[in-house]
Amino acid sequence: MTRRIQQVVVVGADAPAWMAAAALLRSVSGAGIRVRVIELPTLLQPVDAYSALPELAGFHHRIGLDEDLLFSLCKAVPVAGRRFSNWSGAAPPFIHGYDRAPPPAAGLGFTQLWIKGRQRGLRTDFENFSLASVAAKAGRIPVAAAGADLHAAFGYNLDAGAYSALLRRCTMRGGVESKAATIADVEIEGDRIIAVKLNDGERVEADLFVDASGPRAALIGRMPGADVESWREWLPCDRLLVASARGLKPLPAFSQISAFRQGWIGLFPLQDRTAVVAAYDSRETSDEALLEDLPALANMPIGGDAIASGLSQGIRRRAWVGNCVAIGETAFSLEPLDGTQLHIVHYCISQLMTLFPVEAGTFPEAQLYDRIIHRLAVNLRDFQLTHYTLNRRFDMPFWDGCRDAPAPATLQRKLDVFTARGRVPLYDDETFQEQDWESLFIGHGLMPQSYDPRVDAIPEQEHIAQVQARLNDIVGLVEAMPPVDDFIAGVNPQQAAAAKPVG
Amino acid sequence: MSEPLDIVILGGGTAGWMAATALVSLIPPARCRVRLIESEEIGIVGVGEATFPEIRNFNDAVGIDEAEMMRATRAAFKLGIQFVDWGFKGSRYIHPFGVHGPVGMDHIFHHRWLRARSLGSKRDIQDYSFAAQAARDSRFDLPETRSTTLDSAYTYAYHFDAGLYAVYLRDLAERRGVVRSEGKVRDVVQDPETGNIRSLLLESGETISGDLFIDCSGFRSLLLGKTLGVEWEDWSKWLPCDRAFAVPSERDELSPYTRSTAMEAGWRWRIPLQHRTGNGYVFSTNFIDEDEAAASLMRSLETKALAEPRMLKFQAGRRVLNWEKNCIAIGLAGGFLEPLESTSIYLIQVAIMQLVPLLPDKVVDPRLRNEFNRLIDLQYERIRDFLILHYKLTRRDDAEIWRYSAAMDVPESLTRKIELFRHSAIIERYRDGLFPPTSWLSVFIGQGLIPESYSPLADTIPGESLISHLDAFHADVLDRVEEMRRHDRFIDLYCGAERSAAPMATEMRL
Repeated sequence: MTRRIQQVVVVGADAPAWMAAAALLRSVSGAGIRVRVIELPTLLQPVDAYSALPELAGFHHRIGLDEDLLFSLCKAVPVAGRRFSNWSGAAPPFIHGYDRAPPPAAGLGFTQLWIKGRQRGLRTDFENFSLASVAAKAGRIPVAAAGADLHAAFGYNLDAGAYSALLRRCTMRGGVESKAATIADVEIEGDRIIAVKLNDGERVEADLFVDASGPRAALIGRMPGADVESWREWLPCDRLLVASARGLKPLPAFSQISAFRQGWIGLFPLQDRTAVVAAYDSRETSDEALLEDLPALANMPIGGDAIASGLSQGIRRRAWVGNCVAIGETAFSLEPLDGTQLHIVHYCISQLMTLFPVEAGTFPEAQLYDRIIHRLAVNLRDFQLTHYTLNRRFDMPFWDGCRDAPAPATLQRKLDVFTARGRVPLYDDETFQEQDWESLFIGHGLMPQSYDPRVDAIPEQEHIAQVQARLNDIVGLVEAMPPVDDFIAGVNPQQAAAAKPVG
Repeated sequence: MSEPLDIVILGGGTAGWMAATALVSLIPPARCRVRLIESEEIGIVGVGEATFPEIRNFNDAVGIDEAEMMRATRAAFKLGIQFVDWGFKGSRYIHPFGVHGPVGMDHIFHHRWLRARSLGSKRDIQDYSFAAQAARDSRFDLPETRSTTLDSAYTYAYHFDAGLYAVYLRDLAERRGVVRSEGKVRDVVQDPETGNIRSLLLESGETISGDLFIDCSGFRSLLLGKTLGVEWEDWSKWLPCDRAFAVPSERDELSPYTRSTAMEAGWRWRIPLQHRTGNGYVFSTNFIDEDEAAASLMRSLETKALAEPRMLKFQAGRRVLNWEKNCIAIGLAGGFLEPLESTSIYLIQVAIMQLVPLLPDKVVDPRLRNEFNRLIDLQYERIRDFLILHYKLTRRDDAEIWRYSAAMDVPESLTRKIELFRHSAIIERYRDGLFPPTSWLSVFIGQGLIPESYSPLADTIPGESLISHLDAFHADVLDRVEEMRRHDRFIDLYCGAERSAAPMATEMRL
């Protein structure tokens, strides 16, 4: 057999670096592979929050993290979805709820029944048939009773610093070595990193380097062929402002995303405060002007510091070059509009585990990794882009430009097929599934022009009965769900205090 | 509501009657009326007596009772395909309809198996496939579908008489409202402006007009190819076989698998049915002449021939669009891939099941058409690559076709799959398309491509416990196979053609 990978070094900071280390610890350290972390200075601000999709639960399960700790230590608030306001003129807000599956119905998908119903005068909005959306509106959290199969889940708003610290602590207890440092130089031969030189003079060698350094791209940024392709032609926001506001009582079961003249603002409830994030276009407004507008946009007073920074959205042409693998935001970067930031990190990590190189000298796995990450990135970009493409804020240059920009072919096909028939073409490596795209399309006012002809085989009375039954089911299920505050109070703080090691 | 869509299906083989049955069963008469034109003078190809497990979804969707259908078509069960002499002369392996190893472990199982090999274990990967072991022992039972036990580790398809299947569907379709017209098409009338097909003029003088035309005319592709001029994309440089002889012989052992034996200029199939055994030789005239191929087939029969061999001509490839204007080709009119993996009926089925939800109104919406074509292209290309794999991985050098196949350049999409598996034992997954990683695995390994290494994730358990786990699992498989019924006995009880349809619940427990 050829020479195996013996040493892996993760370079980075905050949750992405510790997520990578935790996963490596769990998956390959049992095979005798040494895992080390070079911890770069944090990129987080005290006000930063992570807003994560329900898929994060799967990652926590894999690394053996007790989720109670999130609620006791990371100020976590569970959310059943995101509410989008002011994206479409006078249209009311809608909630993209975290449903796990499309509503069931007659083997055809409930959406098809709804489209026909709508054409026949049904007035109930689409989101009322989404279990998670209704739960979110009711301030309740979809938690499955033991053994029950609930078609909805919750995502998380987390204090970013506390979550990173939790992951760090658990990973360190599991036996990962780490060293805080900055990088003085990277020794590269061809497309291989030979060693990383730290500011204190130490030279760190490894067979495989994982770059989790975020937009710094401390390693991959120096590798051949890994330059960044910008998405600004579609996604115009290039500034990000983070701030903090008081906590909400009672806690809502959703995050709030509102469009304004030059971008959007997100309010992410945490247990003790509300994280505020605004993304905007520097050609349209300045940091100072925005800061002045912030309380009005947030509709609440802003406390403490607000920090503005650059945002550049795009993808590296190659995310894995030689023995250097970029994960998360280091591979591709998107504004935090749909809670994909940590999802990208753990999707990359899980691909890296599946494609973990079998040999230290040669890395044919890289090509497949690049293809998968590229598909993932395009699918996520298209999802977020949909908010812009379908906006109906007329007579505002920023929004008119977004609406007029031609969509990428991958998104245009989804829009076309959905408009024509209410179906969503899904590609390989989709994060968001049929129900998510449907919620977004219909929420932003895209109404299918026709429906699956099989729907007409359902007699009218039965059709009405099915629609009614769906509404009743949802009401019953939501009533049994706990309100957000009860859910958080239900987490036992004593049990949670004892952080267990992973691995 | 507007007038129902008038759908005209040209051709009444397997494709035509499957399409007719599905349309009339799934879409109410207020939305579409279905007519089918066929001529008894034109023979049907009757593709694929062997099927893929997806056929069960089709049958369920249109409301077909399994046991009744199996009786009517003299069907038997199929747990996989056995490939004989493909990797090298004397080699044999089964591509099973089911996973290798325990349910839910397919992402890591073959890496563990490779590690066990590197530690000296001699077991074949098929020893861990429930479907392959049951097939080898000619055993069968219906699988569980909602558990994670061994009994859900496999699925199944059928061997049936495709001619009888078409007859069975015709009866069903006509009872459900499909109108059949006997006759041959003399002329096709197109709209002078749009080029859309308006009507078909039969030799009897009758004109049949419609909104949407489904071309099931077989290789002639009368509407899509001849009338609308949609180009053919030739794939014969990768799949050089261009003829087949088919001949039925007397029934012999009812093995629950298709057998494909590599020959001097192609390969030979054996498909056991209740009343006979289907045999055929798929070959390339680049490497053998027709008479010799026929003689070779007849010599190879294990039981007495029941007819003279019948020859089919074809070419691997597909129409570049399967839906153009108001015409959709289903079956051979849209493309052909040799039946090496029993995909002919699957390709018919997938076209129908994509068409139904995208069925257009009287004026075709190009957005629906484009989506249909995209999905069909994915299916064709992925099956194509999987078929080429069987040829490319041969290590035979005793005949020209095998030397050619081993040396040929294959599509880049396939090259990279082969190379990655060779190096790292990694198998790429995809969303749309027939063959799951376990299918790729069985052919890679079965044809002798043993990866140079395996995932370090398989190194995390101690070698001794790995081997004892694998041994215990293999023993479980054998025990469970032992408990299954003999396939021929199961067939007699469940759907024996000579028996009545009387309930058999008590007998089933014997």
